[in-house]
Amino acid sequence: MPNLIIDGKQVEVPAGTTIIQAADKLGIDIPRYCYHPALPVAGNCRICMVEIEKQPKLQIACYTPVAEGMVVKTNSPKVIEVRKSILEFLLVNHPVDCPVCDQAGECKLQDYYMEHGQYDSRLSDVKVKKEKKAFSIGPTIMLDQERCILCTRCVRFTDNITKTHEFGMFSRGDHSQIDVSKQLDNDYSGNVADICPVGALTDKDFRFKCRVWYLAQTKSVCPGCSMGCNITVEWDKSRPHQHKKARVMRLKPRHNPDVNDYWMCDKGRYNYHFIDDNRIQHPQLKDDFVSWDQATDTIVTVLKSIQKSNNTNRIGVLASAQLTNEDLFVIRKFFKETLKGAMVDFRVPEGPGEKDDFLIKADKNPNTAGASSILQADADAGEIVQKAKHGEIDLLYVFGHDLVKLFGKETVEQIAKKVKLFVYQGSNVNATCSYAHLNLPSSVYAEKEGTFTNCQKRVQRIWPAFLPLGEAKGDWEIISLLSAKLGSPMTYQNSQAIFKDIAATMAPFTEMSYEKLGDKGMLLK
Amino acid sequence: MFTAEYLQELDKITNKYEQKRAALLPLLHRVQEKEGLITPETEKNIAEYLGIPVVHVHEVVSFYHLFHQNKIGKCHFAVCQTTACALRGAEEIIGYIQERLKIKHHETTPDGKFSLSVVECLGACELAPMMQCNKEYKGFLDKKKIDELIEKYS
Amino acid sequence: MEKIVSRHFGQKNSHRLENYLKDNGYEAARKALTQMTGAQVIDEVKKSNLRGLGGAGFPTGTKWSFIPQANPKPKYLVINADEGEPGTFKDKYILEQDPHALLEGIIITCYAIGSHKAYIYIRGEYIKSLEIVQAAIDEAYKGKYLGKGIMGTGFDIDVVVHPGAGAYICGEETALLESLEGKKGFPRLKPPFPAVVGLFGCPTVINNVETIACVPPIINKGAEWYAKLGNEKNGGNRLFCISGHVVKPGVYELPNGTTLREIIYDHAGGIPNGRKLKAVIPGGISAPILTPDQIDVKMDFDSLKSIGSMAGSGGIIVMDDTTDMVWAAMIAARFFALESCGQCSPCREGSGWVYRNVKRLNEGHARPHDLNNLPGIVNNIGGNTICAFGDAVTMSVGSYVSKFRSEFEAKIQERVCQI
Repeated sequence: MPNLIIDGKQVEVPAGTTIIQAADKLGIDIPRYCYHPALPVAGNCRICMVEIEKQPKLQIACYTPVAEGMVVKTNSPKVIEVRKSILEFLLVNHPVDCPVCDQAGECKLQDYYMEHGQYDSRLSDVKVKKEKKAFSIGPTIMLDQERCILCTRCVRFTDNITKTHEFGMFSRGDHSQIDVSKQLDNDYSGNVADICPVGALTDKDFRFKCRVWYLAQTKSVCPGCSMGCNITVEWDKSRPHQHKKARVMRLKPRHNPDVNDYWMCDKGRYNYHFIDDNRIQHPQLKDDFVSWDQATDTIVTVLKSIQKSNNTNRIGVLASAQLTNEDLFVIRKFFKETLKGAMVDFRVPEGPGEKDDFLIKADKNPNTAGASSILQADADAGEIVQKAKHGEIDLLYVFGHDLVKLFGKETVEQIAKKVKLFVYQGSNVNATCSYAHLNLPSSVYAEKEGTFTNCQKRVQRIWPAFLPLGEAKGDWEIISLLSAKLGSPMTYQNSQAIFKDIAATMAPFTEMSYEKLGDKGMLLK
Repeated sequence: MFTAEYLQELDKITNKYEQKRAALLPLLHRVQEKEGLITPETEKNIAEYLGIPVVHVHEVVSFYHLFHQNKIGKCHFAVCQTTACALRGAEEIIGYIQERLKIKHHETTPDGKFSLSVVECLGACELAPMMQCNKEYKGFLDKKKIDELIEKYS
Repeated sequence: MEKIVSRHFGQKNSHRLENYLKDNGYEAARKALTQMTGAQVIDEVKKSNLRGLGGAGFPTGTKWSFIPQANPKPKYLVINADEGEPGTFKDKYILEQDPHALLEGIIITCYAIGSHKAYIYIRGEYIKSLEIVQAAIDEAYKGKYLGKGIMGTGFDIDVVVHPGAGAYICGEETALLESLEGKKGFPRLKPPFPAVVGLFGCPTVINNVETIACVPPIINKGAEWYAKLGNEKNGGNRLFCISGHVVKPGVYELPNGTTLREIIYDHAGGIPNGRKLKAVIPGGISAPILTPDQIDVKMDFDSLKSIGSMAGSGGIIVMDDTTDMVWAAMIAARFFALESCGQCSPCREGSGWVYRNVKRLNEGHARPHDLNNLPGIVNNIGGNTICAFGDAVTMSVGSYVSKFRSEFEAKIQERVCQI
């Protein structure tokens, strides 16, 4: 493995590594536009040029492989001069759109200019005008050909990653233009706005929504399917008047080489509105808002009577693979141990969704593997629903499922009549809510700390971006309240404590901890 | 779509190459010769024939100056403006053509008879000032020769 | 002086096989195939000091020796007949008037490097060349000088003519390969070089038309003879093209080492209309321009390099004292701006910017800071690009500014040409 020195720091890397990759390993950020670790090297922006001892000409770091004993300087006077000149060339025809450009604040032209440029413009000529400005190229992306610096990341993305070949670079010289030969409507179109280093490709969903310096970032995992793509929730809580009280502004993929690399699908990316819209915010008993105390009392009364008559098999629980491992562990503890005999399952008949051979999985739940290992369900959801329909269930506890969609309006009408207490615990309003006797507001994933287990059986952490909306509480917190009122208090202070218990008692999770999971996760045993 | 006979012709060209895609430039020339220009429909057909994405065909058509996406005149003047020809009066020749035909660079006369491109070195500096008129090189141009050519193709 | 490469020029129907055969046609190929090994051919060409006549002047035999013989992939020979360097038109003569010389050179070269397939990439505008070369190839196949087991030997060789489509950058060898593969002419990142990874990923030699046309005479008459014709490091003669303000523009075959003065005055008849020489481009538009005090330079690769210019493609363009040098600079800058492929940032944005700047200078709409900034801007392009096109912009346009600065200054002050 070759050893080399970059800016005085030594590093050892596998043969074939390029200088820019070695520098990244050292945490030295060589400026780059066209280089992207997941795309084939183009070497056209020329801004990553570095000085290599004993070589008269500067070389591009993204393409030059390291050699034993190589000595590289990434900020010698020569290198800085060239960097400045590349910046100058890129800015010659670049429109000074910053005040109206969404990329401002996360734009590589701005960033490198502040770091390495800061010169007065020498341009006295007219800038080249291009055809398409603020031009829609598909359902998700806007193109601005003038802002484009022709790094060709987008072209390499649609040629090599999605293999859908929408983008191309047409014409030549300084009249070259990036454009699409057909609408950009593949399932991963949103990623091109991520990889575009400037504001040439911008996300329509985010257009003019929020300046990026107002955004806070919280790591999480997409709950859209069992792939569990790592994401960052980007939100602005400081100016609710700007956003009609919405907090989440956008989702971005987070790099995980073992799960989603640098990408996420459009469905996952644009499905965040439910975090702020259409939420259940207060406990509701029939038509009245009630307090948590009243709500939990209502449930506990029914539970106590069930316990007295030893009829725990008249409890039906439809848990969900949308819940975290911690939520599910507490549900198991309460309903399968404290209320032993209760029927618990999570496998509702929702049918497989669409999938592809990249990131989209047919299972649209983020934690099926977790639900399987933790709940070890021995009842059957369909059976539970049938029993409820026929009056054999006293307490039906549903976690987030829309029973109307799954089983039909008639069934749910029956259930509402026959079941003594029909509880719906969920984050968002759906058709079932108007039939449930008691609606309890719970948190969405972005408000939770916990873990999901993806289709690879990888346990991944999610972090809470903000507090639950309104009076909503975390799912396990609600169950904890019930357990305490029923006389079996659980002593969990936080979800980390629950996970500790999971690791201690459930074989597949042996030796795991939040610390060990970090932000890349670990596979189940 | 290409007819079977036409496909045979195209196959003859393609078979000379180890990789099908390499035949793209001669194929585009052949199609342009037959149809006078390259349309989006043609690009699609060629892309299908070669088994490559349409975008790659369009990139090539937009990059090379000999491929026309608009119909050119029955008589197309490609006049050289680079150094050797410029030194020997290319600017006047270009100006004169523009004056007589009332068209500019990349334009075609309304009757479709003449079109003009101002191009870079055609590799005939010894004949400066010169142009390529359809397929032929015409050198030592002066106003008289231009008049004669315009007369010929009117 | 004995004419080598141009020995058949001007003869009636010189492009026909029957006439080529009358003058030892294909005898060198026969000699190489039957009496020499490939390695011996390479050695012979090395000894001849033949250097690439497309513009780079790289020693030809050395280039051939870079082909890794052990590599199991097929080898290719590609003939660069893109001839786009302004001022250059010599290859056209070989293609139209002596195509069989080229074909014979191809056979010998393929044999030397272990290749059985050659492509001749001819610029798309050269319609006549394309037709004549194709006809010559057809004749050669018929006469069994191409195809399977040629001339009674076991050697197989196929040759394909491939048209370009109007892009100067396709004269750059890796851009040519890209174009040959059916893509835009975007030069490739190097290394790897074509000798290792070339056409279709296989080892490839790319040579200029004239270079290959020199090979049959070298094999026939020997490397020593060829080497003696030129000077120490640059063997043989060369086809010099001369155009612009001269009495007899055209192609002249002369020994490497002839001075520029001799070519302009003794061969091309000097400057017409009693005018004086003001400037001359010695080797195609990419070559830094020379002033009248520099024309005693010997026209070979090393001599021209030593005075800060280049022999390049051998395209000489003469400018008399009626020439406005700012205008001439604008023509050069415009050429580069229009022909830049657009792949890398310094050349793409820089060539266009330099052109707009020089255009304004030429039209009298510039201010002193425009001229003061220009050399710095021009110098930022070369050395930072994927291919030598960027270097050409810097060298070429830069040379007008540095050698004729007073004319640029005058245009700023007076807003009018001084001539």
